[in-house]
Amino acid sequence: MTKRDTSRPSLSRRGALKTLGATGLAAAALPGLSGFAQAQSSAPIRIGFQVHRTGIGAAYGRWYDRSTAAAVARINEMGGINGRPVEIVAEDDGTDPKRGAEVVEKFATQHECDIAFGTLFSHVVFGSAPRAGELKMPYFVVSEGHHVASGALNRYTLQPGITDVKSQVQAMAPFVADNLGKKVTMIFPDFAFGHDHRDYFTAAIEAQGGEVLAHIAIPPSETSFTKYFPQIPRETEVIYHVMVGPAVLTFVKEMGEFFGPNSPEIFGFIDSLEAVDMASPGLEFLEGSYFWEGNPRYAQANQSDHDKAYRAAVGVDDNGASVSDPKDVSTYSHMFGCWETLNIVKAGMEAADYQGPDDRTKLIEAVEAMSDMPHSLDHPQGAKRFNGKTHQTFGHQYISKVTDGKLVLAHTTSIEDTLYEDEVDYTTQAF
Amino acid sequence: MIRLLILPGLTFLAFAFWADGAFAHASEGGFVLLLPTRLYILSGCAAVALSVLIVGLMPGRWLERIFTPLRTGVARPPKGQQFTSLAATAAVFGLVAIGWFGPHDPLGNLLPLTIWTLFWIGFVVTQALTGDLWAWINPWSGLATLIGPIKAPFVLPDRLGHWPGVVSLIAFALFALVYPAPDDPSRLAVVVAAYWSLMFLGCLLFGAEIWLPRAECFTILLRLFASLAPLRRSDAWALGLPGWRAFHLPTPPVSLAVFIVALLGIGSFDGLNETFWWLVQIGVNPLEFPGRSALIGRTTLGLVAAVAMLIALFAACVWSGLWLADRRQTPSPSFSAAFGQLSLSLLPIALGYHLAHFFVAFLVNIQYVAVALSDPLQSGRDILNLGDHYVSTGFLKSRDPVRAIWLTQAGVIVAAHILAVFMAHHSATQMFRSRSRTMLSQVPLAAFMVLYTLFGLWLLATARGA
Repeated sequence: MTKRDTSRPSLSRRGALKTLGATGLAAAALPGLSGFAQAQSSAPIRIGFQVHRTGIGAAYGRWYDRSTAAAVARINEMGGINGRPVEIVAEDDGTDPKRGAEVVEKFATQHECDIAFGTLFSHVVFGSAPRAGELKMPYFVVSEGHHVASGALNRYTLQPGITDVKSQVQAMAPFVADNLGKKVTMIFPDFAFGHDHRDYFTAAIEAQGGEVLAHIAIPPSETSFTKYFPQIPRETEVIYHVMVGPAVLTFVKEMGEFFGPNSPEIFGFIDSLEAVDMASPGLEFLEGSYFWEGNPRYAQANQSDHDKAYRAAVGVDDNGASVSDPKDVSTYSHMFGCWETLNIVKAGMEAADYQGPDDRTKLIEAVEAMSDMPHSLDHPQGAKRFNGKTHQTFGHQYISKVTDGKLVLAHTTSIEDTLYEDEVDYTTQAF
Repeated sequence: MIRLLILPGLTFLAFAFWADGAFAHASEGGFVLLLPTRLYILSGCAAVALSVLIVGLMPGRWLERIFTPLRTGVARPPKGQQFTSLAATAAVFGLVAIGWFGPHDPLGNLLPLTIWTLFWIGFVVTQALTGDLWAWINPWSGLATLIGPIKAPFVLPDRLGHWPGVVSLIAFALFALVYPAPDDPSRLAVVVAAYWSLMFLGCLLFGAEIWLPRAECFTILLRLFASLAPLRRSDAWALGLPGWRAFHLPTPPVSLAVFIVALLGIGSFDGLNETFWWLVQIGVNPLEFPGRSALIGRTTLGLVAAVAMLIALFAACVWSGLWLADRRQTPSPSFSAAFGQLSLSLLPIALGYHLAHFFVAFLVNIQYVAVALSDPLQSGRDILNLGDHYVSTGFLKSRDPVRAIWLTQAGVIVAAHILAVFMAHHSATQMFRSRSRTMLSQVPLAAFMVLYTLFGLWLLATARGA
């Protein structure tokens, strides 16, 4: 591996907007074979991108990669960060926590990255974030997990670009109670992920005057569900399900067969159906059901200019599929997190006048000082409210209904719907 | 005669119907879980069972004729193998350099893409269709001829047989299945360089023609798969049913037979260890795969156990077949001769499963190969003029293409098992001469092959969590 010259002193680069050469733009995707001269004032900002290139997260990793590349291309086109081009140094973690920690280490020691970012799967975040803390490397995760805001991690780990599952689940309750029904049966896989939904939603629906009639916990290894449906109480008005994994289509199909035309309302999360083509033959049983979406996959009638421009930049069509293959449906509900996080990194580095690794804590403090972020091309998913104490952002959540094989937006929550009490204050922790 | 087939037939049918509750259900995208795979699996097993019936009833002469090739003309002897082998050596060195110095992205670096996609999937399958191309592109023999001693300084003891090859095969399997990052470019570069060097050292010490076919696992498995090719050219071109060439090989010694069974076991375990069933056995939540690093011990034990069990099971089928065929009568092959000869009939099963198992990965990764060839150092170039191109997995996101792929995979597995049934029976005919003894000897192995079809199809259809 080529070793980089570490002897450059840190000069002030304020106002030193240099013309970016072609090499600077090409550096957007260079993984460590830097081809251009290390001129002091145009030395790139190196962002370590911890990507699930292989392993169980690969389907998401592919789209995280695309939205990251698009975000960086845009940032560099606009002049980079503090006049310096952004260079992405991508490393595969194999969706493996132990490898994740090794990747963070590589970013800090071998690749001399300024920050690390991009991790999605919760168990990998858990395995990697402690190492980022030990190495004092700002670690921007794009994971949706509640682990950041729960206080389980460290002051170096932040999640400013994507909302967490606790706020998502909680925000569903008002719409469900007002429009679908107040008597809910919850069906969830019997492990941490399902338990989180069980706990957060039960509390939230009760706050809306509703109640959960039954909690049906399904063993994670289960692949046939018909035997569980008789447990659903007769008075159920809404079924809330968060089945994940390969069996989710079987689950919804068997549920449709069980109820026939007289089913209760059905509410689920798009997570397991991310990248599934809703219009595929054989999925008719999804028709009429509601889903949480992180970001509406299909371009809606009131599509914003920001969403339009964002789709064009990432290469996604109005159905949320790749422009080069209309069957290649993207992970639209999650990948915006990479785009938005990188824009926040830019804003933070500019606010902190970030020059180099010595300014990492200044960067974190600058991000911690952020709060409201308006809906813009920097934040095409919607306005955000960042909580500097918990290092977690909050934003609008979307509820869509499957109509004629597409997801049609039925409701947009307020940001207030998604808020919950602080569980930690990282700003009181030492760096 | 027919009566003897009824019991295994009923057993199979009972098993298939009982199995439907315990097995069923599937893999990526959830669409496979929606397919009527139970029906497909039943049909596939029925086809193989039917082939057992057919081959049992077929006159022996017909089977002989099926495996006799058509001679189609005179061929010139091949020249230039030394040069192409040298070019392959240079290519390996170049790829190792790309692995070490090139992009860190395993899907963007030509070393892992070449080793795991082009070579391990593409070339292995091609070799089984075209014959021994490996003689042309192995990265050792050319250089060994060029710089090695005229006469090898050491003798590889005969009693070692192909056991060194079994060791290198198991080592490869551990690297591919257990090691957390076998496609990491820089680590793979180290492994490839070390393996190449070790094998080349063996060529220098013992002679390439002795060392490679006995100790180098890829040479061994590729030459075995080459014997499945329908076409052969040596003194003459000849075209026949896949597998006909295997009958012109000498009876494999026990070490080579164990190699073949181990090869099948490794491939099967590769499929098994991704399933919900396996994950539950080892105490892993199938919806929360913890990553390979957490499973090194369990996967190693599983691999070793799977191979050992398959060897024991196959040996039991051979032995009980011999017992049924009454060993006191002549001619009766020895156990080791029968074990060796019949192991050849496992080759199509191993190949068929290899193709089926890696088919989807190939369809995805071959796109990455194209992108990497166009931009080998991820520097923004576009040598092949692909333009704005994104790798797509669109064909996995709706029902119809998923079904077409699944049926292709299943068809390959079924066809492979039918061929295996034919090959096994032909071997038995040659060992026993008498029709009744041939059929008796094949009862356990034929049952094994029908059940293995069920297993292979189940692996395709069942839910996967890794």
